[in-house]
Amino acid sequence: MARYGMALDYKKCINCKACETACKEENGILLGADKHRIWVGVKEVEGEFPLLSIASQTFYPSQCQHCDAAPCQEVCPTNATYYDENGVVQVDPDKCILCSYCINACPYDARYVDDRTMTVDKCTFCSDTRLSRGEVTTACQNTCPTKVRIFGDLDDPNSEISQVLREREYFTLKSHLGTQPKLFYLI
Amino acid sequence: MHIEISRRRFLQGSVALTVLGTTATTALFSKDKTGEIKITTKTTNKADKLVPTMCEMCVNKCAAIARVEDGVVTKLDPNPYFPKSRSMLCARGNAGIQALYDPDRLKYPLIRVGKKGEGKFKRVTWDEAFEYIKEKTVQILDEEEDNRSSFLFCAGEGMAEHTFKTFYQVFGSSNWLNHSSICLQTVAAGYGLTLGSYPQSDFENATYVILAGANRAEAIVTPDTMDLFKNVKSKKNAAKLVCIDPRFTNTAAKSDLWLPITPGTDLAFVLALTYVVLDEELYNKEYVEANFNDFDEYKEHILSNNYTPKWASKITGIEENTIYSIAREFMEHAPKAIYYPGRRSTFAKNDFQLRRAMAIFQALGGGVDCEGGLVFGKTLKIKGHDVSSPMYDNAKSRAVIKRLQAKSGQAGYEDCAIVGDGGSWISWRNSFLEDKQPYKVRGMFCYKHNPMQNMPNSKKTAQMLEKMEFLVCIDTMPSDTVMYADVVLPECTYLERTDPIKTFGGTEPSIAVRHKVIDPMFESKPVMEILQGLSQKLSKPLFEITKKYDEDVQEMLETDDESEVYAEFDLSVPFMHSQEELNKDAVRDYPEALAMLEKHGVYYPDMDKYFKQISANEYEYYPKSKRYYSVNEGRPITSSNKVECKIDSLARNGIDPMPLWKDEYIPKSTTGKFKLTTGRHAQYTQSGSTNNSMLNDLMPENYLWLNKRVAKEKNIKFGDMLEVSSNVGAIRIKAYPTEKIAQDQVFLIHGFGQESSSLTWAYKNGGNDNAIIEDIMEPVYGAAAMHETEVEIKRV
Repeated sequence: MARYGMALDYKKCINCKACETACKEENGILLGADKHRIWVGVKEVEGEFPLLSIASQTFYPSQCQHCDAAPCQEVCPTNATYYDENGVVQVDPDKCILCSYCINACPYDARYVDDRTMTVDKCTFCSDTRLSRGEVTTACQNTCPTKVRIFGDLDDPNSEISQVLREREYFTLKSHLGTQPKLFYLI
Repeated sequence: MHIEISRRRFLQGSVALTVLGTTATTALFSKDKTGEIKITTKTTNKADKLVPTMCEMCVNKCAAIARVEDGVVTKLDPNPYFPKSRSMLCARGNAGIQALYDPDRLKYPLIRVGKKGEGKFKRVTWDEAFEYIKEKTVQILDEEEDNRSSFLFCAGEGMAEHTFKTFYQVFGSSNWLNHSSICLQTVAAGYGLTLGSYPQSDFENATYVILAGANRAEAIVTPDTMDLFKNVKSKKNAAKLVCIDPRFTNTAAKSDLWLPITPGTDLAFVLALTYVVLDEELYNKEYVEANFNDFDEYKEHILSNNYTPKWASKITGIEENTIYSIAREFMEHAPKAIYYPGRRSTFAKNDFQLRRAMAIFQALGGGVDCEGGLVFGKTLKIKGHDVSSPMYDNAKSRAVIKRLQAKSGQAGYEDCAIVGDGGSWISWRNSFLEDKQPYKVRGMFCYKHNPMQNMPNSKKTAQMLEKMEFLVCIDTMPSDTVMYADVVLPECTYLERTDPIKTFGGTEPSIAVRHKVIDPMFESKPVMEILQGLSQKLSKPLFEITKKYDEDVQEMLETDDESEVYAEFDLSVPFMHSQEELNKDAVRDYPEALAMLEKHGVYYPDMDKYFKQISANEYEYYPKSKRYYSVNEGRPITSSNKVECKIDSLARNGIDPMPLWKDEYIPKSTTGKFKLTTGRHAQYTQSGSTNNSMLNDLMPENYLWLNKRVAKEKNIKFGDMLEVSSNVGAIRIKAYPTEKIAQDQVFLIHGFGQESSSLTWAYKNGGNDNAIIEDIMEPVYGAAAMHETEVEIKRV
């Protein structure tokens, strides 16, 4: 029993996409640019050459926010989307009927369709791959060159993520929607 | 704060998603429920084995752990024990699985049946391939009267390059070409002659960094990329990063200051920084007094030439005041300030002098062989694989064109002043094509090297390969160069072979090994085994040729037994032992090394004591007090232990003994034309990785960057097909209008637009930069100057 979350020291991100490939390889995700559980959001730089705004060019690693109040879970008519014992938002492919309500309900665009099962797929924090064999890091975290990601149990006050969230400022995405996301962007 | 983070929305208008949903269906193994073959494999709880190995998706050699389930490599993870790669694998490193299971791989030995370049081959057995090579080699060497240099040997960089080079040495040719003249030749030599070595940078402890023409966020170098970007922007007391690049790169996005310099003018910028430091006497006087040769002369040279920031601002486009403030800030932070040496090919003709000027500027602050500065580090010695090469009386010296009647103070060769070990590729190719070489070179052995893509003016390379009578290629992929081969010998990929053990010098030195993860697939073999078979086939027949023409050998045979004489000419001797045996021998001085290398893939003395996990995802390799920041008491490691400001031996070869600016260095700027620059990308290495199906998802083709306002004037929109032409060729490539580049420049990423139709993903995927880059050489080593070309563009 845990409540898993992830902190992102996003200013260290160089948009190398190691995380995206590691996720695909670990979790057996389909190839294809539109098939992905995680991604790096890039905002094109503002200004005219040579007067460009360095600060405007940002790289935000993103994925399912594993919200504590997840809209995707609320709208699912078959209870295919559920919280597992570690607070991770999961999809049961046997129950999913691909009604796509969850895809539309997710404010973070974190879900896509797996063409093999014709069900919805998304980030699982590597629950059924790495965590299930006792590893304590996710694939995206483990491979990251600049060590952007800190994954762990938010309920454990001694976990690295709990400590860093006590020590550093952070923001969450679209928190005004009341989703209570568990991805934290460190400032 | 408005934050746009949806990748899908972003992609709609961007470079990365022009090919949507190209689901690859060509994997060799894993099948999903519907029976459709997919290329990624989900990991499970059962692993047959975890094998420590080393990546070869680029030149960095990061340590990996391969997960093998039911004989299939299902995942490559970073190996935490290796100091150099800091427990990471980049996108390419992760995608190594797709290189292993690439359906386009060379699977069997092949002999050409079609025209050169056409790509028509027949499958043969290894013995048939070797037999054919033997016949052709014997014929050529007989006709050329045992001139072993009538064969050219060339190789790309890699852990097994040395194995192939050994074959070249025992074969007895003098014609060796490797990547250096299209790679690090000028930077390595510039720093080598000035400071004694091409140094590393201690980015962990530097507080001020200038990155000029070095895009470390996209052209990943380990550990530089990780150390640098952990040390800027996101933490308290972050280092200040000044990024100098004509383009706004991902590195620029992480910098504190981005200065878009006019391409090819970095030398003027460095000379002006030096001017400020000397004029205002900001340099470390104690350090300079103790550790410089010819400082006074250099000072006088810089000041009397008036290399002022005002002068430089006109040439570089960087404001005068900015140059002053950078020079002052750098020296305030010195010795913990780094002017990064860079790790790239030659861009402009003045590159050698630029590197000398950079090295001297760095040393003026004392930031040499010290924490936070440039470091030489320590290298753990391993035993080499010593091979004695036979002496062939008729082997002619390297086919280079000497300048007749060269006097002292003039370059001794037609194309350059100095010929390095790796030679000048362009010079060699062009003189071969122009029939200028002193004797006929008729055969070529090419290992893991793709001259069709890697060197400017690919039209000439095609002509060279057509003209070469006999070409043998050893490779893993059907590259553009392989299309011209007479015989193709399939090497297995890096995950299927054990390679020579390697020592990695630095502040945290270690020894690491690439272990074989799975057995070679199809009929592919490690280059060691290929050369074992080939040398056994060639050795005796070639000795017969030597006996026929070599008077020294004939003389020896008068007194000695033939088997004794032959023993010296037995080409197969270096390849007698397995790589595993040789590796054991290489570390025989370290009693614990073998066991550690077997278990962890990495070894260094006291590793069991020093190696520490400091968080779930970070590790310490050496305690700080044990790192080799300083190995020569802060001095350069030149033979004089001084910084060499003035090198008289250069002057004797017609090279300026001190860095200086010449008007001819002012870049050409023709109205209506654009300066062409090229570069690297974090998801691709070079042409070797563009056929990777996983990486192809991230960027299916390259684009031509051009300024948005220029594009608008020309009515060019994102994705429009353009023809880009120079004096040597034309390519077709799609447009990417952006404000990240100046109005008079265009840019494209290297390694795309291959012509080999055997490459499912890379075939004609964008434009090949080397089809339009002119074959211009810098004058010192004849290295290819990649950014001296102007192009025209039109919509087609």
